[in-house]
Amino acid sequence: MSDQRIFSKYKAHEIRSELQQGNSKKHRASAIKRKNALKKIVVNLSMGFSSEMALLFPEILQYWHIDDDMEVKRICHHFLVAMAPTKSANFQEALRLVTEDFNSGNEPLRVLALRTLSSVPISTYFDECRKSVYMVLNKGSESEQLKKTALYAARKLTQMEDKQSGAIINFLHQIMENQKEKPGIRANALYVLYEIQETTKTLQTLTLDFDTCMDMLELLPALNEWDNSRLLDSLTGNYIPQNHSDAHYMIEKTIPQLQHANTSVVLNAFKFVIYLTNYVDFLMESLVKQLSASIISLLNKPPELEFLVLRNIILLLIGREKPILSVDVSYFFVEFNDPIYIKDTKLEILYLLAKEDNLSQILQELKEYATDIDIQMSRKAIRAVGNLAVKLERCVDECMNLLLELLDFEVEYIVQEIVSVFKNVLRRYPEKYEICLFKLIHFTDSVQEPESRGSMIWIITQYSDHLRNYLELFQSFTDNFLNEALEVQFSILSSVIKLFTRNPTPATEKLCIDILKCSTEKSDCPDLRDRAFMYWRLLSSAQQSQGSLIDMNAVREIVDGALPVIALNSHLDPQIVEELELNIGTIASIYLKPVGQVFRLNKPRRLPRSPAFNSNRDGIEVISENSRSHSSSLTEKSSGSRPRRKSSPVKKMEDYDRPAETINQLKLKKKTSSAAMNLTRKPSILARKLSMRKPFA
Amino acid sequence: MVSALFIYSLRGELLISKHVNNIVQKSMSEIFRIQVINNLDVRSPVLTLGSTTFHHIKSVGNLWIVAVSRSNSDSAAIWEFLYKLNALLKAYGLDSEKEMKEEFMTCYELLDVILEEGVPVDTELSNVAARMSVKPKIGIESFNSFAESIGYSTDRIIPRSRLLTRRTSSLASHDSLHEQHSNVPWRMIGIKYKKNEVFLNVNERISILVSKDGSILRSYVDGTVEATTHLSGMPICRFGLNDALSVTTPFDDGPVDNMNKKAIPKAAAGSVMLEDCKFHQCVQLDKFQNDRTINFIPPDGNFVLMKYHVRENLNLPFKITPTVTVSRSSSVDYRITIKSLFPSKLTAKDVQLRIPVPPETVNCQLSTSNGKCKFVAEESAIIWKFSKYQGLTENSLSATAFPVEDFQLNIDQWPRPPMSLTFEIMMFSNSGLVVRFFDILDKDKNYSLVKWIKYISKSGAYELRY
Repeated sequence: MSDQRIFSKYKAHEIRSELQQGNSKKHRASAIKRKNALKKIVVNLSMGFSSEMALLFPEILQYWHIDDDMEVKRICHHFLVAMAPTKSANFQEALRLVTEDFNSGNEPLRVLALRTLSSVPISTYFDECRKSVYMVLNKGSESEQLKKTALYAARKLTQMEDKQSGAIINFLHQIMENQKEKPGIRANALYVLYEIQETTKTLQTLTLDFDTCMDMLELLPALNEWDNSRLLDSLTGNYIPQNHSDAHYMIEKTIPQLQHANTSVVLNAFKFVIYLTNYVDFLMESLVKQLSASIISLLNKPPELEFLVLRNIILLLIGREKPILSVDVSYFFVEFNDPIYIKDTKLEILYLLAKEDNLSQILQELKEYATDIDIQMSRKAIRAVGNLAVKLERCVDECMNLLLELLDFEVEYIVQEIVSVFKNVLRRYPEKYEICLFKLIHFTDSVQEPESRGSMIWIITQYSDHLRNYLELFQSFTDNFLNEALEVQFSILSSVIKLFTRNPTPATEKLCIDILKCSTEKSDCPDLRDRAFMYWRLLSSAQQSQGSLIDMNAVREIVDGALPVIALNSHLDPQIVEELELNIGTIASIYLKPVGQVFRLNKPRRLPRSPAFNSNRDGIEVISENSRSHSSSLTEKSSGSRPRRKSSPVKKMEDYDRPAETINQLKLKKKTSSAAMNLTRKPSILARKLSMRKPFA
Repeated sequence: MVSALFIYSLRGELLISKHVNNIVQKSMSEIFRIQVINNLDVRSPVLTLGSTTFHHIKSVGNLWIVAVSRSNSDSAAIWEFLYKLNALLKAYGLDSEKEMKEEFMTCYELLDVILEEGVPVDTELSNVAARMSVKPKIGIESFNSFAESIGYSTDRIIPRSRLLTRRTSSLASHDSLHEQHSNVPWRMIGIKYKKNEVFLNVNERISILVSKDGSILRSYVDGTVEATTHLSGMPICRFGLNDALSVTTPFDDGPVDNMNKKAIPKAAAGSVMLEDCKFHQCVQLDKFQNDRTINFIPPDGNFVLMKYHVRENLNLPFKITPTVTVSRSSSVDYRITIKSLFPSKLTAKDVQLRIPVPPETVNCQLSTSNGKCKFVAEESAIIWKFSKYQGLTENSLSATAFPVEDFQLNIDQWPRPPMSLTFEIMMFSNSGLVVRFFDILDKDKNYSLVKWIKYISKSGAYELRY
């Protein structure tokens, strides 16, 4: 029997017979056979055949004794945990075996047994489990591992049965505050308490006073990385600073953790510090610097973690008017081998960081991406340029020039994207048409995609006064009206109405009537028909009766009124930001959505209020190190402070130059290295290449 | 935190499924298979459906390692954990489908040790190994550096230096289950070596991006200090660098005064501005915060002591001056000089300049002053290679790329991908970082210590536009 076959589906009776075979002789070979049969059970459980495997419960109980082998025990416990939801009657018998294991001297086995006890939702198991938890945690000599298991078993007990949870919570509090207990145990006790109150609806938030919090922070150096990160997580929101100096003190205590190698520790420290900044009266400039540097250095982690960090940078940038990070744009330049999700996120950050003074640097970079071979990336870069034009009013010309420059490449997808983008730019700056209109019109025939077609139609309509041949241009869209995408049909429809109301000539009237007819008679789409009828009635009622409420001017007002100016809003609702900042590094920070929207099990988190709470978070002064004595007048001091150091001035390659000691001269003869020469060795490829060059000669 | 953990083969066969307290339905593993593994267009490393979230990574041995969580968990911890698990699986020789199918019980045992109700408790290999019944396949020594290199693309993996594979006779035993635990979570009590040795490796990777006009758009060095310690007892080590901040007062804006001066590499002259460093969990962070000294009790064997990032005052090792012109016959002319800027005593290894040519090119005329040069049509590039490159040496290349006949090259339409250079220089530091000292505090007279140090500078993305 090969091991390979362990990994396939079996019926319960097959495994049973194998187990019984193995039972007949009590020597080594049969023990291996039996073990293999047991392994098959594990495999089949993971494949999801648990109801079939449930039939083997009696066998498992039988074999529990036979082998005193750790692996067999592990399988048995695994089986029990997997069967827990069935609440089978066999569990009563199993309880005795589990307790026996727990009382054995073997530590890994005791850990297993305690976990099993806490996993089976039967009251006798709970009683046993509670007894064991108290026993383990009260005894000083037990190992750290077992105590941790006991702590998490306690968490489970509170989830399973409510009536005892009060006592358990009190007990956990005692452990946490017990100075003699090991640091790892105390930190985990705090975390378990925090988890319990987080998942139980009825419980009040865990509130820690200054001394406890201090006490806990003192533990940090003695903890391993995971305990470290959980400790910082549990303190956030549960310790409420009562005055500014407490908050400052805590920040100081936490800052060293920003240097940790584990991302989770750094982000949780970050979260705690950001949380505390809501309770301070001023911020040190050095703090901003340290926070920024520490988050930047997380960017050379594996891509998944880098992605998470980038998303959190976005959160911190959009969260406040005056971002608490000060980072240089060049960190977010895309590298060619970045995964797509990182590229996207970096582009978003570049957009957010764009200001007048760094715009040229960013545009230069975006231009590189726009001509990249990656089409997706290229499109996104062009979108970003368009958005920048809308965002930065004073730099719009620069952005538009770049777009027009890119248009010269005449690459198909670039043209599509640029035309689509210009619609937004022109809606924001209607008066800027002169520089781009005629160039854009040139591409009327090459726009293919629905969005860019719609955009082109809008541009032509909007600026028809400046285009002598607008009807001609329009022709290319109306000719094939029925084959257009629905959104293009809509824009053609509304555009012809606009053109007609603006300038009622026979030509526009004919165009208008053609399209209306076409949409009402030939189109299958009820929405399009409805809209066409609506326009039709509007027009006819305006023309027919002199006494009616509607005249042509009113119609014009309706179909061709002034459009509101668009603006891009990248800021989130302050309440959402408040909640997200309490969830730095979590899943919600990736999606940048309120926690309650994604996870119904989580309680919403809010900043607890205290006398030290700073309601106007943007009002916090950032003061430089020089003005430590800030007490007198904050504003004066901070205005005097030096502006933050920007990224160093542009360096030149020349500055690094030094004279060479050896200069090798070019050899005069040129040798030829050609593709053809390489290819002649592979005739098939050569043939293919040649045939591709002249496709249909 | 983690409600279930799945490991799939590359094709999507479920190999390991570890459920924590049964709140995740069994069908969840099926959902992941359909949504991610069988989906060719995966655009995110995280997937949330309803309130169930899947965090996934792909291991070097092509296994999918997936954590399922039911609430708003700490993503940072989950991904860090998955990478640590990945490294541990590798250490136990479980990093491919075949091995996993044979030894899956070892994997369950491992998960029992490192996860407590879905919460990671301890992933330090030396501690894990002490609790496992099976011994790891690779030594603890080589583990950590592997764990660090994992998750980067293969070209980023740092080849292990010879030095580190040398083993000293270790009397430390890890197989006893009842190993005494000390107050230091990452180090056992009672480790003994006949010869106390420390190996330090300073690995640096420099990335720059130079624009057409020679201005440097981006330049930085990512470095790691790897240490391998074979030390007896519980030594407190002290480690010092030429860190600018440890010399002057903390957070003084040192370089501001230099702003107007030319940005000349002055790193060799004195100290380095470490923008930020990250330390292994053994380093006393509060101590570093206060007086910039790095004190630690090291774990036994190999680990990454610190990672750092430097942007200012770098030593750029190469200068490349390209002139690219398009002639009327639509061929492209290249005149490139490459000059090494590091001292002439040193040599760089495996220097390779990749010069992109338009994709329509079929033929190249090449002439170089030194090195091997050839046109690789499949990559649309000219590759210029030097197996050794002396310091302070200049070489030049002249090349003409001819397109397919009758092809009118529109140079505007060629995106001009940047040229890129790869190299490796021993005993050179791009950042100018120098290890000043490494010693052991309060040691007795008999405690002798042998120290080895090595600097390796490599290229990250060393690119220039033209």
